[in-house]
Amino acid sequence: MTTLAITGWGVASPIGVGADEFAANLRAGKDGRTDVSEMFDEPLPRTDAFAMTDFRARDHLGRKGTTFLDRSTALAMVACGQALTDAALEITDENTQRVGVALGTTAGSVKSTSDYSKATFVEEKPYLVNPLIFPNAVMNAAAGQSAIRYRLRGVNATLAGGSVAVLTALRYARSLIALDRADTLMVGAVEEFGPQVAWANQFAMREHGGELPAGEGAAIFVVEDADRVRAAGRTPDAEVLSVEVATHIPDDENDPDVDFSATLARCLRRALDRAGVPAGDVHAVASAENGMPAKDGYEDRAITDVLGTAPRRLRVKQQTGEALSASNALQLAALLSLHRGDPALDGAVSVLTSHTPDGVVGAAVLRGWSGRDRASE
Amino acid sequence: MNRRVVITGVGPVSSIGIGAEAFGAGLRAGRSGISEIESFDTTGFPHVMAGGVPQFEPKSLLERISPEKWGRTSQFAASAARLAVTDAGIDPTELSSSAAGSCMGTTGGESQVLEALTEDSLTVGFAGVDRALMGHIPASRLAVAVNRELGLTGEALTLSTACSASNYAVGHAYDQIHTGEQDYMVAGGADSLERWGHAGFFRLGAVAENACRPFDKDRTGILTAEGGAAVFLESLDSALARGARIYAEVLGYALNCDADHMTAPNKDSIVRCIRMAHRNAGTDPSDVDYICAHGTGTPANDLTEATATAEAFDGAPPPISSVKSMLGHTMGAASGFSVIASVLGIHDSFLPPTINFGELDPQMPPIDPVPNEARYQPVNIAQVNGFAFGGNNAITIFGRYS
Repeated sequence: MTTLAITGWGVASPIGVGADEFAANLRAGKDGRTDVSEMFDEPLPRTDAFAMTDFRARDHLGRKGTTFLDRSTALAMVACGQALTDAALEITDENTQRVGVALGTTAGSVKSTSDYSKATFVEEKPYLVNPLIFPNAVMNAAAGQSAIRYRLRGVNATLAGGSVAVLTALRYARSLIALDRADTLMVGAVEEFGPQVAWANQFAMREHGGELPAGEGAAIFVVEDADRVRAAGRTPDAEVLSVEVATHIPDDENDPDVDFSATLARCLRRALDRAGVPAGDVHAVASAENGMPAKDGYEDRAITDVLGTAPRRLRVKQQTGEALSASNALQLAALLSLHRGDPALDGAVSVLTSHTPDGVVGAAVLRGWSGRDRASE
Repeated sequence: MNRRVVITGVGPVSSIGIGAEAFGAGLRAGRSGISEIESFDTTGFPHVMAGGVPQFEPKSLLERISPEKWGRTSQFAASAARLAVTDAGIDPTELSSSAAGSCMGTTGGESQVLEALTEDSLTVGFAGVDRALMGHIPASRLAVAVNRELGLTGEALTLSTACSASNYAVGHAYDQIHTGEQDYMVAGGADSLERWGHAGFFRLGAVAENACRPFDKDRTGILTAEGGAAVFLESLDSALARGARIYAEVLGYALNCDADHMTAPNKDSIVRCIRMAHRNAGTDPSDVDYICAHGTGTPANDLTEATATAEAFDGAPPPISSVKSMLGHTMGAASGFSVIASVLGIHDSFLPPTINFGELDPQMPPIDPVPNEARYQPVNIAQVNGFAFGGNNAITIFGRYS
């Protein structure tokens, strides 16, 4: 199977916009938590969240065409533009049909969809909704708008994978590139902060004994065929050696056993096997741990069963909150951050693990480099 | 690995019939599944007709998962998947111990759950809504419901590429089996009626009052609809080894993006997608016997689609009909129903009709919409069109296996 290379990336997060700023702040241990009490008219479950309170689409994208963008779409477009620049990928008449998007989400711009429903209840007539923002309420808005802005006419896919969305998007991209359906894909995920997701997160945290606030952000990675990148004499930021996903099936659906540990461990072993990498070579693991004691325990058990306790552990949600599919993208960004500007780690192997509340688990194995020389540009 | 891929089971949960037999009979009879909306209060809406499936009883179809723990769209997805697997006649134990997964497409996901919670929040705030239901909102649950219902341990991927999503899903499932990544896949799509979608399409001026009339000069728009559509895919070798009935072979597919406008279709981009689909499937346009159209019944879609089709087929397109005339627009399930209709047409030698048809739009190039009555003829190769918001075009091609 084709191996993918990541040749550039972009990020919009509560601890920094752009790969360099994100990498530096992550290393410095910056905490993205902020006061969100003034952010919305609707009540929020708590006054703090990992939100980008100062983020305005027009500051990054200009005024033209940004008036009606929802927050998810704006975040994705910023990350996408940065990724293109970071990879020095120029979209031309020659490659426009061959560059596409594979963008992860959980349920799209939840605030847009909910507000659209709300308008049907509170307006004088139920149909007095704003037709200009109707597409924002549909889950593929961020991918479609990004394609329009950057002229990406290849495959345009939105993958509702929640907390494993980037793992599934990488698998999706690998099939497309292996079968010559695309040359380059902008792979990533986006989530926005808003009252609806803040409450959903609060309920989930309370149920599972956690206390981490919700987050938001986007990270997008330029993904190509690793053989082609190598043949062209280019240095990638990482090669995705393998990506595996699996579904944990409880024995009894009426009394579902939610311990996904064994399923994740199997998935991780298969990923190492397909990557051809011994467990002892793994130097870092970015996990999805979010402070829910039981679930963190299942994930930790799978990781330590397969990799032992030697690898360095990155828990990116501690600095960026619970942002579901975007967190999955920030996990990948965190692993790339280790390599950014540090040739000492060139060739080092790292692992990413994640899981969804309903039993989908996944793992990826990466080999990272400090990437192409960007300083001279 | 380059394995050939076939469809050996279909699972339609639709307003014109649940299960292969009832759905096929509905297509052949040109049945309309349109009725007055029961899913939500239509007070104040000028147009109240839709393709709801009030006869859907998930409890009678689902064997493993409990309907009350999943949203309506996931129930549609899992029920359709269960029907497809039963129709394929594969041993459930064999399936759950194999490399098997699912890929389901959707437009709205479980947004009707979010809508109900949003309504509740108007009186009690989000702090006071049903907490368990909050957990039903993620669209990822559609494919997970399929895997949990069938005990599939592989990938569970929900593609939310709006109204062409089922074609994306079938294409991805094809790739997974073609490359040997998975041995069995369930693919399709599901959506539920919601107020927000009904209101949004109405405000775009895209909702018909009583009937959806694709390609007709008097067409006025879509009728919103719901349902679940799934097909069961496996390698040709696997189907032959177990003596399975083969509805059709998946010959190939193509995806592209307009990158032009979020809601308006783009003729040139659709022409490119059709040509790419033919190339990928190794099919000459003159060999295509039937096109199952996107055919929403809106003035813009049907004119663009007919014009693009005539261009891509050098002025001589095969018959092109729209099952949305019968079902309404089932959104993320739409191209799934079109795939099922097309492979049934291939297997049973008929073309589904475009009902409610009076007279072809004179602005269109001459096309044959199979007006009002099913036509009985051999179908060797069928093409399924799916277009969507965001310029997400997806076209799949199927062939008779003999």
